[in-house]
Amino acid sequence: MTVIDLKNVTRKFGDLTAVRSVSLSMEKGICYALLGPNGAGKTTLSKMIGGVLPRHEGEMRVLGMDPWKMQSEVKAHLGVVMQSDALDDELNVLENLRIYGLFFWLKGRAFRERVAELLEFVSLTGREKMPTQALSGGMKRRLLIARALLSDPEILLLDEPTTGLDPQVRQVIWTTLRKLMEKGMTILLTTHYMEEASQLADRVGILDQGQLITEGSPTELIHRTLPSCVLEFDERESPGDAAVPDGSLVEHHGDRVYVFDDDETALRNWLGEHGISAPHLRQTSLEDVFLKLTGRGLHE
Amino acid sequence: MSNARPPTRPVRAPSVVKRVASVWVRHWRVYSDTFVANATPAVLEPVFFLLAVGLGVGRFVDTEFAGLDFASFMAPGVLAMTCVYTASFEATYGTWVRLRFQQTYEAMRATPLTVRDIFAGELLWCATKGALFGTIVGLVLLAFGKIVSPYALLIPVFGFVTAMAFGGLALTVTSLVKNMNHFQFYFTIGLTPLVFFSGLMFPVNTLPDALQGLAYALPMFHVIESFRLIISGTNHVTVSWAWACPIVLVVLASFFGWLGVHRMSGRMLK
Repeated sequence: MTVIDLKNVTRKFGDLTAVRSVSLSMEKGICYALLGPNGAGKTTLSKMIGGVLPRHEGEMRVLGMDPWKMQSEVKAHLGVVMQSDALDDELNVLENLRIYGLFFWLKGRAFRERVAELLEFVSLTGREKMPTQALSGGMKRRLLIARALLSDPEILLLDEPTTGLDPQVRQVIWTTLRKLMEKGMTILLTTHYMEEASQLADRVGILDQGQLITEGSPTELIHRTLPSCVLEFDERESPGDAAVPDGSLVEHHGDRVYVFDDDETALRNWLGEHGISAPHLRQTSLEDVFLKLTGRGLHE
Repeated sequence: MSNARPPTRPVRAPSVVKRVASVWVRHWRVYSDTFVANATPAVLEPVFFLLAVGLGVGRFVDTEFAGLDFASFMAPGVLAMTCVYTASFEATYGTWVRLRFQQTYEAMRATPLTVRDIFAGELLWCATKGALFGTIVGLVLLAFGKIVSPYALLIPVFGFVTAMAFGGLALTVTSLVKNMNHFQFYFTIGLTPLVFFSGLMFPVNTLPDALQGLAYALPMFHVIESFRLIISGTNHVTVSWAWACPIVLVVLASFFGWLGVHRMSGRMLK
């Protein structure tokens, strides 16, 4: 079942076109990651899907409804974890959840039980009375996830859920999200961490300058875009682009050289011939695909 | 598009009344923790004001204004000022903090609330605070013996309407500023002269003709005269058409309330 369906969606901010004619559709029960450099339009697209911003052109259906015209109805079925820790710092953990639940007009005994259940799910049981300003960054994120789940949503929208968190906390968040996926939750995730997308996503779409430039499963994207192996080394040691094995593809990003080839042995042999001191021979990753497609240099 | 099917569960967004009410409840809940700290200046300022006037400058003023001694003449204006400033601060600095620092609206917008729901709730909250503080100051005035009319029971209603008018105006200002410091202009150039030249300390009919006309055209005169009507009674008003002032007040509250909600909603969608 298609839960999110976009056709040629465009959104402008003044002269800037933040999202340009994006079409995508998403099936129930999958995790879709929207990747893109900063300013690519990920958050804007996610806000339009979430009924927070109107579009300027195109057609959108979220759970069969127009997410702008029926925003209250659509948002009643969405759980949103936004980039900022938008919690009421003056209130404690429990009160934060109660007030947020009220925006969905959720209250009463069943709701209180759900709150307790969710606090347990994100391992915050026992911290009900803690003011949220006393929580660590990781605890705040978990509370935001619990808050997004209060209304028992059909789709979870996560906007850069692990930005600014340390690796341990990131693992905890990923585990939490995987548990939700096992229960059949549909997730739309925006991120600029390739690892996050590789770890969680069934499908990946890459946004660049407002356009969806490619889409597919992580392995599909890698196979479609680049050879399967890559040799990475410092530019100062490069024997020159012309010296690479026949049929290899060379890319430069920053001061690194990347030589891509499907034939790992060929790369290994070539390495032996050129005596490069600190080479890194590995499988092509989503990050390579990302750098290849969104180009080198900074997008600012 | 053809594959998209309706949701598996029935649509269950709360009604607009519940959505607006939930914003009000949130503000009340967050606010009630700091109620004493917030209400103290609002209550004490008029007390000090009345003491300073009654014990101090009032003793040197022999003239009666509208048949009242100086302190009694000022009492309705002091109450009006409380309602006006309460709403003005709430919908400028208060709204700004929620907008920029606390991301309160960002969180609300992820829920079934629309931007209009959010700012309608905001406006109602301003009006509620106006009614509440107006009532508290009304009790202070009662203790000072400045309340002579039984219509003073309408103070909460008048406070509510006044705060809605000025809350709406303040939201309109907030929709325009790019920087929190710009609120200074509104308070210093906009509100302060409005308060002091609209019949708070002296009757407007003692001003030169041109200024009188201006004062009557501005909103504050109608606020102060309305409170004069219900606190000091119909014998102690400054214009013969004082009865029309509450009507003007309702019109102002409707217009500025609508404008403020409309403008702030527009700002959020930019």
